[in-house]
Amino acid sequence: MYRSPPGARGFFIAIGLLGGALLAATLAGLLAFWALQAAFPRPLEEGYPGYLILLFAVVVLIPLLVWLGRRVPFLTDWYYLLPAITFLLAFTVFPIILTTYYAFTDYSGLRNGKPDRSTETEIVRVEGQRLFLAGNAHDLLRCDQPDCAGQALEITSRTQRARVSAAQAQDNIITLTAPPPFTPSLVYKINDYRLVGFRNFMEIFSRAGTVLLPILVWNIVFAAGAVFVGAIPGLILGLLLNNKNLALRGFYRTALIISWAIPVVISVQIFTAMLNVQFGPINRLLGLLGAYPIPWLTDPEWFKVSALLISLWLGFPYWMTATLGALSTIPDDVYEAARIDGASGWQTLTGITLPLLRQPFIPLLLGSFAYNFNNFGLIYLMGPQPGVEGRPSTAQAADILITWAYKTAFQADGGQAYGLGGAISILIFFLTVAISLINFRFTGALREVR
Amino acid sequence: MHIIWRYAGWALFGLAVAWLLLIYFPSLLARIQPNIPPGFVRIENGWVYALAGLLVIIGFILIYTWLVTYLSNHRSGRKRSFWPLFGQGLTHLFLLLVLLFAYYPILQILAASFDPRNTLYRILPPASDNLLVRARVIPDFSQLSWENYAKLFDGFVLYPYQGILLLMAGLCLLFALGLAAYRRLVGDGDVDSPWARLQGRSLALFALLGFALVVFLSPSQFTGQGTEAKFMLWVRNTLFVSGITGILAVLLTATAGYAFARFNFPGRYPMLLVFIFIQMFPGFLGLVATYVLISNLGLLNTFTGLVLAYSGGIISFGTWVYKGFLESISKSLEEAALIDGASKWQAFTLVLLPLSTPMFVFIFLLQFVGTYSEFIVANLFLTGVDSWTVGMGLRNFTTGQFSTRWGLFAAASVLGSLPILLTFYGFQRYFVSGYTAGSVKE
Repeated sequence: MYRSPPGARGFFIAIGLLGGALLAATLAGLLAFWALQAAFPRPLEEGYPGYLILLFAVVVLIPLLVWLGRRVPFLTDWYYLLPAITFLLAFTVFPIILTTYYAFTDYSGLRNGKPDRSTETEIVRVEGQRLFLAGNAHDLLRCDQPDCAGQALEITSRTQRARVSAAQAQDNIITLTAPPPFTPSLVYKINDYRLVGFRNFMEIFSRAGTVLLPILVWNIVFAAGAVFVGAIPGLILGLLLNNKNLALRGFYRTALIISWAIPVVISVQIFTAMLNVQFGPINRLLGLLGAYPIPWLTDPEWFKVSALLISLWLGFPYWMTATLGALSTIPDDVYEAARIDGASGWQTLTGITLPLLRQPFIPLLLGSFAYNFNNFGLIYLMGPQPGVEGRPSTAQAADILITWAYKTAFQADGGQAYGLGGAISILIFFLTVAISLINFRFTGALREVR
Repeated sequence: MHIIWRYAGWALFGLAVAWLLLIYFPSLLARIQPNIPPGFVRIENGWVYALAGLLVIIGFILIYTWLVTYLSNHRSGRKRSFWPLFGQGLTHLFLLLVLLFAYYPILQILAASFDPRNTLYRILPPASDNLLVRARVIPDFSQLSWENYAKLFDGFVLYPYQGILLLMAGLCLLFALGLAAYRRLVGDGDVDSPWARLQGRSLALFALLGFALVVFLSPSQFTGQGTEAKFMLWVRNTLFVSGITGILAVLLTATAGYAFARFNFPGRYPMLLVFIFIQMFPGFLGLVATYVLISNLGLLNTFTGLVLAYSGGIISFGTWVYKGFLESISKSLEEAALIDGASKWQAFTLVLLPLSTPMFVFIFLLQFVGTYSEFIVANLFLTGVDSWTVGMGLRNFTTGQFSTRWGLFAAASVLGSLPILLTFYGFQRYFVSGYTAGSVKE
């Protein structure tokens, strides 16, 4: 097949062949790894590193691809996509699928599918499916069920480990559902997570009035507000600096993009120090102007104002640069014509410049909205937030959806409820897709590539 | 119908503004407690003085521009209005105020980094006659000290060959900067002139030497007590990880961008959609899954593992940008090569790659800068003070167990933002053109 079959058939043949090759190589890598482990066993603590699987897989994949490329020449077009696709599959698609799966489980810090090392119990003797322990099986392993029925366990020997399931336990004897594949010396309980259906989503929506809705509303307000407070000053500065007669124009332009050039992780933390109620330089400056200390970071509403203030500082250089870039594409003769027609400066601005800026600005505005909608770094780095009554500690005054999800999934006070965090992530995903669809509809980005 | 919508939009906007001004702002102001903490300088009706001062300055500008215009008119006998000049004066005043706003945090953090008392939060005001200093609006420069910086370099041993590398890298950078200044002076705007090429080469040599230095630095060279003495090691780690991530981004996206821009295979459009939409899943919430994967590969607490974890998030955008760039290049060059019997791969590597350098620089820089700021993923994958990154170290200073160490944080911020600041200003052209390439279409 020198030419690709047209339409969906060609697409599916290519995807099938590539996917098959990747799958075969991965399986070969795994098999080679297991063969290595079986042939030259090593103690568990210093076992073979897992990346050997990748090396074996690559060793198999490359000849396989060369061979496939000879047999099906049209496939070589797809080889250009292969590096990107492989990495996307491994480090984006796979985590997404797994997270979606976790969203339907009760996966959390306590139930993470890992063996609980504190339940380590010695196995005295093995008889078929029965393991004889050093003491009472149920007490030592802390099973969920009184007779340990269905309990997931990990058994290890010096060089091997395996996951097994208990059928029942009596005194110091555990009966497994199948005989162990090797003679184990230790057994652990596995803190298994379970499928819970839509319970995580129910939890989110059952408290929608106090948590989800306020956060969503603030999230939208924050994203729109951050765009607004960045774009308007940036636009004004861009218009001012576009004046070719202005002295020191290049200097201002270069000097003013400073806040764009400082890593966000640094600048946001500087701002949290600056916004301290009693000692922050901003309040000291305002004090000279007659203001009482403003509770920037200790009052829930002022915290939101602070978030927008920081967005202003971070955002205006981008908009200034964008304005200058867009203005440079407007030909001078347009202004020349307006001048000859006797238009005043204000008329030129509202009649020519601003309407001509609309076209390039719409995609930038929408893109900036989408970016700020998930602006994790800013909100998270602002540090601990003032509490709001009736909301969990993971969803405080200025938390947006993504910080709520992160705190739920990873912070100790959220119980590291990864399942719940995954459910929120799926919600964020759908919202982001919706925003982007609107974006594409306005800008026609998708029509263009077609 | 359209008109109605338009008016409805404006009405809604007006309502929102009215709510903001009449209800929200008063409620915000009501939340301010009217009490003055010790050491806080407050001037009753200070804003009146400030406004009056501003008006006086504007008056000066008015008089000055009027005088200048009057004198020049008098001399040349022309009749020119002084309003444009006055407008320029006001513009300068406004821009200076904006500069003040933009640089106020930087000024404060610079001052804090030289403050040996290690805190932004001092109760006692400095004894000074200057009101602005006493209110600590202008930092007290009478007690500068390098103590915070010294702590960051405490016990750092530089081997002689590394010193030589550092010296050579510095010389290369200076040479490149000197060339850039010379070219600007001469007005050499040609990107292909011999001087420009020499400048590019010395920058590349600087990058190479810097990379060698980053690779050869080892944790054993940092013998100081306390976590802060490892700061340069964190910078080195961050530069290493960011650099590799940036290179990986270019490598992974170049061929994919080429395929999307030039080939017309069935399934091109759905694949492009997949590339875009996959990116909308909040990346780091897949972290537990990525963690499971990296831990099964035995790469936890290695930079390789961290770079692999980053690699998922960098592909779509780079591919998309590079594809857009290639589509703006005419096909005729490659077609000539293809007719001459070159393969697609040869057309790509020999014809297109040399043309694509600016875009690769942009993609690399974007990843480099983005990764430099990252600390969430790094926090999960790297353990142990020796493998921290700058972001993690800085978080440690501000969320420390005992107290927030602002002095150290400030000094570390200043040093830690330097690489990105230099990169950004050095490659400003690439950033601006790259960012606006996608947006400013006719």
